[in-house]
Amino acid sequence: MRNHFSFEIPFMRYRKVLLTISAVMSVLAIVGLIVRGVTFGIEFQGGTEIDFYDTGAITIDDMREALVAAGEEDPTVQTTTVEGESGFLVRSGTTDPQVATEHADATAAALGLSAESYNVTTIGPDWGADVTRSSLLAFGVAILLIIAYVSIRYEFKMSITAVIALIHDMVIILGIYAWTQIPVTPNVVAALLSTMGFSLYDTVVEFDRTNDNAKTLRDGVHRTYMQICNFSVNEVVVRSINTTITTLVPELAMYFFGGATLKDFAFAMILGELLGTYSSYAVATPLLAIWKTREPRWAKLEARYGEGASTTTVTDA
Amino acid sequence: MARDKSSSTSKTGVDRWNSNEGASSKSARKTRRGGNNRRRSTQGRGHMFTLLALAALLIASAVGFIPPAERITQGLDIRGGVSVILTATKTDGTAPTADDMATATAIVQNRVNALGAAETSVQQQGTNSILVQIPGATNADTAIETIGRTGHLEFVRLDAIGDADALAKISAGTSDVKLKEGTYTAFMDGSSIRNSAVAQATTSATGAYAVNVSLDSDGAKTFADVTTELAPTHGQIAIVLDGVVNSAPAVQTAITDGNVSITGNFSLEEAKALKTVLDSGSLPVTLSYSESRVVGPTLGQDSLRQGVFAIAIGGAIVVAYLFFFYQGLGLLTMGSLAVFGIIYLGLLALLSRMGSFALTLPGLAGVVLTTGSAADSSILVLERFREEIRMGRSVRNAAIGGTKEGISTSLDADAVQLVTALALFFMAVGPVKGFGLTTALGILCDLVTMFLFKAPALRLLGMGTIQKHPRFWGIASDLAEAEETLGASASDVQTKKGGVAHA
Repeated sequence: MRNHFSFEIPFMRYRKVLLTISAVMSVLAIVGLIVRGVTFGIEFQGGTEIDFYDTGAITIDDMREALVAAGEEDPTVQTTTVEGESGFLVRSGTTDPQVATEHADATAAALGLSAESYNVTTIGPDWGADVTRSSLLAFGVAILLIIAYVSIRYEFKMSITAVIALIHDMVIILGIYAWTQIPVTPNVVAALLSTMGFSLYDTVVEFDRTNDNAKTLRDGVHRTYMQICNFSVNEVVVRSINTTITTLVPELAMYFFGGATLKDFAFAMILGELLGTYSSYAVATPLLAIWKTREPRWAKLEARYGEGASTTTVTDA
Repeated sequence: MARDKSSSTSKTGVDRWNSNEGASSKSARKTRRGGNNRRRSTQGRGHMFTLLALAALLIASAVGFIPPAERITQGLDIRGGVSVILTATKTDGTAPTADDMATATAIVQNRVNALGAAETSVQQQGTNSILVQIPGATNADTAIETIGRTGHLEFVRLDAIGDADALAKISAGTSDVKLKEGTYTAFMDGSSIRNSAVAQATTSATGAYAVNVSLDSDGAKTFADVTTELAPTHGQIAIVLDGVVNSAPAVQTAITDGNVSITGNFSLEEAKALKTVLDSGSLPVTLSYSESRVVGPTLGQDSLRQGVFAIAIGGAIVVAYLFFFYQGLGLLTMGSLAVFGIIYLGLLALLSRMGSFALTLPGLAGVVLTTGSAADSSILVLERFREEIRMGRSVRNAAIGGTKEGISTSLDADAVQLVTALALFFMAVGPVKGFGLTTALGILCDLVTMFLFKAPALRLLGMGTIQKHPRFWGIASDLAEAEETLGASASDVQTKKGGVAHA
């Protein structure tokens, strides 16, 4: 065994537990999507977003009152905290930038805030449609290219399970966005896309090792496809944990120390990274192992050497 | 021997890597023979050469990007200011032509210039959008109002201006005289202009430029009447844009065919400026706001500081973790991250200087992401290196095989990331493009780091240093495991795992 541990972690023994956890999370996510729905950022639908910073002791009611007095109709106000300073994030349907800046100016003046303490972003209604179309296009093209790449390089059953794991991640992440009501912006889409691609690659590396071991591994311990999968997972798990940690740490730093835009990116990246790595081991590999075990050749081996037949702790002959 | 020769004369890290690859598969299988020592020294020199070339590149980069605050252009969301995207549409529903867009962009540029802000930029984006950036704009209201205003161009007879003050100023040659509303009546407006062009004035011996304007039939008729009346006295016609007199040429002859030539010893620039004014009354497209971002100047700087702080903290934790996990080999990771960072900053500074890059916040997120990936590819190499040692290979061969396999895995990972980065850069619209760009650039820098630093450095160290101090370099346990396996059953290693697996 070539991992850093002196024993093999029995991932596959818990495959049903892992798959059940994933199924429960997916169901919860779908419920969230149906019940609460995803909030989209103003970039997709047009509207105005005003970020107020360093607002001191101003309360959310003060803020809302001042906005309404300035002429903003029905603004959504949220509190934010950046580097310990409190602030507000205001969203509204205003699509005329001139009106939006006037409202922001008036609000800031009414609350005694300086003219430098806020950002105003206004997106026109047609532009939102453009952004949506181009984001979907970029997303679709990238995912298709990645899937094509995986399918060309690896066996059919591997690409299918890898894609199932990917869909599983997407659904759960969308569910998290639905439950938390954090708006999905183009930045979120971009961040998800780049981490998902990377995580899908994690699965590919794992499968690659499994493929190799299924062909060449003759150590007398790992005979069934389940055992080979488990062995392969153990071989690459340290690498996988380390690469996840090294990418996750800068993202966490960005989440805790960065301003609104960076936080937006970081949150999506962290979710994509964690779920992507998790699903490689907890979804893709177990599904592949279960599916492959149904092939006559592996079914026979499973019957002879599998969990039911004897324990997996046979020592080397 | 032929291969040795080629490897000692080849110049780039990639060549060196490729040639070593050939050598490694050979030496991995065969036991040491004569000639091996010589090969080793030529390879060692080759790695040294690569590292020296890298050192030169690093110095050049460092000179290029220090100080980064000045050398790397900052985007609007970091510098603060107003950033607006205008989208052009035509009233008849057809797509705006390239000419329409060029004219519209010039007109917007004119309006933005009138704001008097420094370093403004007006660029066409895609086929139908114009990006306007005004750094540090303190009065966002005025800026947005001015850019969005449709120009109203009028032609006014000087004798139809009732404001005596204004008239005095015009005859004194004062530029940009403002006319009060209601004090003048125009005989024609910009909608009568069919087109305008800059040309060399036919009547000028000095090569001065003129602006030729052709009018539609109604305009031609009106203009004929007015000029016939004014020609004998050389009366002036004021060209008024949004209530401001731009120029007031005197009528020389009656113009009856609707082809007006405005002369006045114009330089090419002056003539172009006048053409833009004449065009703005008949803007070929309707501009509407698509996106407007107003960022307070101090807020942007705060975001940048937070982002850089996040990268520094993240980088430090990653390096510390890798030292803990890989001990001495962590030095290699730290070195790769440093090399990566310097090349990356150098590249960004170079692109900034060429005017094709500005660091935005989404771009900064891309930098953070690729910094993680750069650390990733180091891990792939180190893990593979240690695995090869555990498989019973010599440290030297493990260094060669480990870099080869580790890098080939990294190349796959990089390919996947590059696909998404480029898809975002080319297909997405708005600020998210910046994220795609910095991610793609980061991947390129990671590739350069792999070939110019990681591979040669690990191979050079693998030639002796690591072997001598296995404990410091954190491979003692791997060597022990290899020995154990080899001792248990020497033949088993071969059968247990045939060939080279992926990292």
